[in-house]
Amino acid sequence: MVDVRKIRGGEGLDDINDELDEILDSVVENTRQATEAFFAAYDENPDPKILAAWLQPRAWREIDYVFLLNEQIRRYGLAFERRHITLLAKQSFQEAEHYEMVGRAIESLGGEVPVSAPPQAKPWSDFLWDCLERHPLAAIAAWNCSETSASGSFEPTFKAGERHGFDEVVRIYKQIENDEKFHVGLGRQVLAAYAKTDRDREEILRAMRGMRDIAWKTFTPESVAQARQA
Amino acid sequence: MTTFDSCSLEQASKLLDLVITRLDRVAENVLSIELAAPNGEPLPSWQAGAHIDVLLPGGIVRQYSLCGDPDRTDHWRIGVLRDPCSRGGSIYVHEELKIGGGLTVAGPRNNFGLVDSTRYLFIAGGIGITPIIPMIRAVAGQRKPWTLLYGGRSRRSMAFLDDIALISGGETHIVPQDEFGLLDLDRFLGRYDPATAVYCCGPSPLLNAVEKKCQTWQAGALHLERFAPSEKVATRETGSFEVELARSGRHIVVPPYRSLLDILEENGCQVTNSCRAGICGTCLVRVLSGVPEHNDDVLSRADQEAGEVMLVCVSRAKSDRLVLDL
Ligand SMILES: Cc1cc2nc3c(=O)[nH]c(=O)nc-3n(C[C@H](O)[C@H](O)[C@H](O)COP(=O)(O)OP(=O)(O)OC[C@H]3O[C@@H](n4cnc5c(N)ncnc54)[C@H](O)[C@@H]3O)c2cc1C
Ligand code: FES
Ligand SMILES: [Fe+2]
Ligand SMILES: [Fe+2]
Repeated sequence: MVDVRKIRGGEGLDDINDELDEILDSVVENTRQATEAFFAAYDENPDPKILAAWLQPRAWREIDYVFLLNEQIRRYGLAFERRHITLLAKQSFQEAEHYEMVGRAIESLGGEVPVSAPPQAKPWSDFLWDCLERHPLAAIAAWNCSETSASGSFEPTFKAGERHGFDEVVRIYKQIENDEKFHVGLGRQVLAAYAKTDRDREEILRAMRGMRDIAWKTFTPESVAQARQA
Repeated sequence: MTTFDSCSLEQASKLLDLVITRLDRVAENVLSIELAAPNGEPLPSWQAGAHIDVLLPGGIVRQYSLCGDPDRTDHWRIGVLRDPCSRGGSIYVHEELKIGGGLTVAGPRNNFGLVDSTRYLFIAGGIGITPIIPMIRAVAGQRKPWTLLYGGRSRRSMAFLDDIALISGGETHIVPQDEFGLLDLDRFLGRYDPATAVYCCGPSPLLNAVEKKCQTWQAGALHLERFAPSEKVATRETGSFEVELARSGRHIVVPPYRSLLDILEENGCQVTNSCRAGICGTCLVRVLSGVPEHNDDVLSRADQEAGEVMLVCVSRAKSDRLVLDL
């Protein structure tokens, strides 16, 4: 009934919609598999510290989005309609709330909330900031791919939450899931509204393809194990 | 990227109650309408390419390009084509407007402004001629070279031919399809000339064909305006309506300029939400009776038309009363 990827509000992506959806489907699926693999490993050894470590790059993403969104608005926002500036700022506020909520969950699991980019989140963060330099729509495209990928992580997280009773994490992710629908729809609308030229579309595809290869990686059990060894 | 004129956006949010001073049938199915302020005061200024929003009964809002003379602040002129598939906008304009009657409008707003250029090529299809006429006048006034390519189904259906004939200094190609076939885009767009700004307005197939011809051109060389049926603009937050909450039997009233979601929350109804802007789809509520007025960007057209659900953060009511599954 509601598919935020089919948001109305612009025609700039009409020629590349199919390709974008292919990229997004594949990154959602990779994230789902990575999350399932993580919780399969977690079932064997349900140590809250491991769950906290898994949430750390997630918390970093939330606060990095705040920085990215504000920089996006500062640099390129005045070429957008006012409504889109307001909505991007609203997204930024919600990402700050997510940082706060995920941070609280990490603390309740006995972990530490990151205040600089954890090594596992570094490739993701670097890629987004490069995109922001490259083209006014590239960072939005990259985070749209990353935020869409998160939708693959919700179901396995909720199921594992039932098995292990981490209700607070589930409650937080239910709210984040709602907000993510907004962020994904908004990103797609902004891209469609302001992409005008083939170069715009190429940069959007380039950013999405790049993010496709990065976004799911921090959800894997291997990434968590590496981080805990470091 | 597009830059937006914040000044004109501000002007666009002001409503003006105008009087219809003249109606002329200027071609088959095309009505020219002149509007003035009731007290004869000067109207807000505008520039070639601008349009106004016309507010019609039933919450219908339609855009019409100003096609008169920007120097005349005593009246505005618009030209409206009767759309055979109209949901009510152009039909109402054609059948109900009378000289001396009132019309509420907002604007002017301009997403199709003239850029400075050495030469201009204007391509108009059908009613798409409306924003082009003031553009040609402006360019002719600056004594710059211009070419107009104007196509239509037949000469009888092509509006404002007399006005065009009076503008001097350019090259005009009037191309009724029943006499000469389609516009020869290859001839006029075959070669990219950075010194020529191209402006095109008309039906989608023409715009798509022009866009395709120019796809390798430098960004910004081609300027298009689509007369797409209004989607978003219809969200004038006017008019109150009544809502019955089926589960409790309570009745609440949503006043103008307040969102249904706000009023539900004020009345202790929790509805999941995130964007409060018609984007995320999370505030979906079932409609048990009444006709919603959908203002969101995300429900499918089929769901909107079925009217069985609505997004309460932005949507309102076409009927006086809605019954919601809350
Ligand atoms: C900037 C701008 C300037 C314009 N200037 C002019 C002008 O100068 N002169 C002029 O005549 N028109 C102009 N238009 C078009 C005008 O605003 C109206 O769209 C037009 O008059 C048709 O309105 P309607 O209510 O009669 O028809 P609508 O009911 O809006 O129907 C129009 C077409 O859309 C189809 N349609 C019906 N329902 C939907 C739906 N839910 N979603 C999508 N499509 C649907 C119909 O089949 C029909 O073909 C302009 C539009 C814009 C955006
Ligand atoms: S709250 Fe997002 S569509 Fe209503
Ligand atoms: Fe978030
Ligand atoms: Fe987000």
